[in-house]
Amino acid sequence: MQDLAKNRLQKNLQQSLKYLTLVFNDFFILAIIFLFGALMFWYAQSMKKMPPNLYFYKPLVGLILSMPLLIGKLVTLLQAADIQFLLPQDKNMRAYLKIMRSYSLLVPLICLVLIAGILFPFALIKAKIPILSYCLAVLAVFLAKIAQLKVMEYNLFYNKKISLFLVNTLFFITFAVLMMWPKTMFLVVILLAIIISGATFKPQNTALFDWQYAVELEQRRKNQVYGVFSMFTDVKERKVKIRRRKYLDFLLPKSLRNENPNKFLYRRALLRNPENLNLLVRMTAFAGLISLLVQNWLWALTLCSLVVFLTVYQLLPMANEFDNNIMYQVYPIEHIKRGQDLLKVLSLALFMQWVIISIFWLLILPVNLQLFEASSLLLLFSWLIAHWYLPWKVKQRKI
Amino acid sequence: MVLKIEHLTGGYAGVPVIKDINLTIKSGQALGIIGLNGAGKSTTIKHILGLLRPQKGKITLNEVSLNKQPTAFKRQVAYIPEVPVLYPELTLKEHLALIILSYQLNEEKAWVRAQQLLQLFRLEDKLDWLPVHFSKGMKQKVMIVAAFLADTDLLVIDEPFTGLDPLAVTNLIDLIKEAIATGKMVLMSTHILADAEQVISNYAVLNNGEIEVIGSISDIRLHYGLTATDSFDKIYRILNQEQRHARFS
Repeated sequence: MQDLAKNRLQKNLQQSLKYLTLVFNDFFILAIIFLFGALMFWYAQSMKKMPPNLYFYKPLVGLILSMPLLIGKLVTLLQAADIQFLLPQDKNMRAYLKIMRSYSLLVPLICLVLIAGILFPFALIKAKIPILSYCLAVLAVFLAKIAQLKVMEYNLFYNKKISLFLVNTLFFITFAVLMMWPKTMFLVVILLAIIISGATFKPQNTALFDWQYAVELEQRRKNQVYGVFSMFTDVKERKVKIRRRKYLDFLLPKSLRNENPNKFLYRRALLRNPENLNLLVRMTAFAGLISLLVQNWLWALTLCSLVVFLTVYQLLPMANEFDNNIMYQVYPIEHIKRGQDLLKVLSLALFMQWVIISIFWLLILPVNLQLFEASSLLLLFSWLIAHWYLPWKVKQRKI
Repeated sequence: MVLKIEHLTGGYAGVPVIKDINLTIKSGQALGIIGLNGAGKSTTIKHILGLLRPQKGKITLNEVSLNKQPTAFKRQVAYIPEVPVLYPELTLKEHLALIILSYQLNEEKAWVRAQQLLQLFRLEDKLDWLPVHFSKGMKQKVMIVAAFLADTDLLVIDEPFTGLDPLAVTNLIDLIKEAIATGKMVLMSTHILADAEQVISNYAVLNNGEIEVIGSISDIRLHYGLTATDSFDKIYRILNQEQRHARFS
């Protein structure tokens, strides 16, 4: 089982590296450097203005330092087939999970070091936390993460499940409160060390491994990781979970009279496939956010037009969404004019986006003639996209 | 009404799996395709459904050529696959609505028929469910309801009995009988001959991608030299021996 664990970790690392190289491409690295530089500049400027040693500084340091507790779950790399092929291996699962636990510490540890480094000047100068206590606090958070992973491992067996929400809340409160007296961090470290060694060295119970639960948990974890990667690149391993979202059904025509199979399918693909709907929601929210930041109708119009264009551009692959469904090929569905059907559905998406952005503008920008002009121009831009750009793109892509 | 498959040779990426297949099914006839795994049953079905392009030969249904008028051809064919394939985005009711749209059915009549079929397979209270909430058997029942709702001239059924409870098997057999009685054509691939025998009187035996014999059960028994006491399933052993001979000769 140890060999299997090592083998799977190696393959997982290779796969993660493959996607990470795509995520951290040159443009993204450049953007991160700029953003990080801006954040550090703001941090340095704020440090100059902040009054020292306010009452909430120490609990704030405790809370921020505890953030890595929310990052990274227990990586088990279990697969559905394991329920069949590894079923008699319950006894060896602890050895397997020991290797996995060490690996699971990697990402939280990197985050902890990063957060601790950034927070160090504030903790030392403004919150007046002694260096030794601060270092002990960092060590305590690290031990808390190990304890948290041990709880996750414990929950994978047929034991009474321990609520992770309660565990995390307990850690957050402990660090926020006890940081008021930084010297107590020494005791926290000792206490956590005792708890961890107790859990490690006490005789193991013979609880059976909860295969079904463990596999489902791992699939959910993997899907979350793939979800992050998929924001930057296509991830073929990602399993999309379709949800109905009844509250959006009012956007679907009640009668079949003016429907055809392609329109019928594309409407539901837009509203129920989270890949498409999340993109639409995310981009619309982004348009709202940048409008709020620029607070100027001309800039808002320019940037929102760009967002609208990027939204439909990214929704175009929806055209091939059903191609791998064998029944889509078997049913007598015309494929020749489906590009036109896609256009109609995307035009609806564009209109919805325009309505939401315009309402948002009314709420956050000064209401005047210029705002109505901007809204009308955005509508005109959306119309041009729907009636000029999209038909051209459909023709070009031979949809 | 007639399905004609003439000199059909086909398979995957240039590799012929089926060779020179000739089949005819007339109105009110049901034909079972039997053979070992890899004999070419599913490949034949895929060709009839237009999922594979024939290397040679032609397929026509009521004189509509699959190659020349694919949509008109497909409008006359309903299919029940071995493994249920549903649209994850559509509820059960929307799957039926899609059938109505695709096969251009009269909406009013189709919903009445759908209600009868749903009751028969105990699905009438699951209209708003997405496929993710269905068990494998339920998914298979949805495929059956959808295929019979389409009310087509030809019904292609691939291993229909796997995953169904005995009650659903009985209901499916009754529906197939009803379809045959009203002049529809049925093409069924199955290994469960005990169930198939209730509706199918003629069989085509496929081996190594070729049809060895077509006929009634007694014709096939005669062809393979089975005695009256031999189980019909014995032909699988004979086919296996033939395959071995073909491989080593």
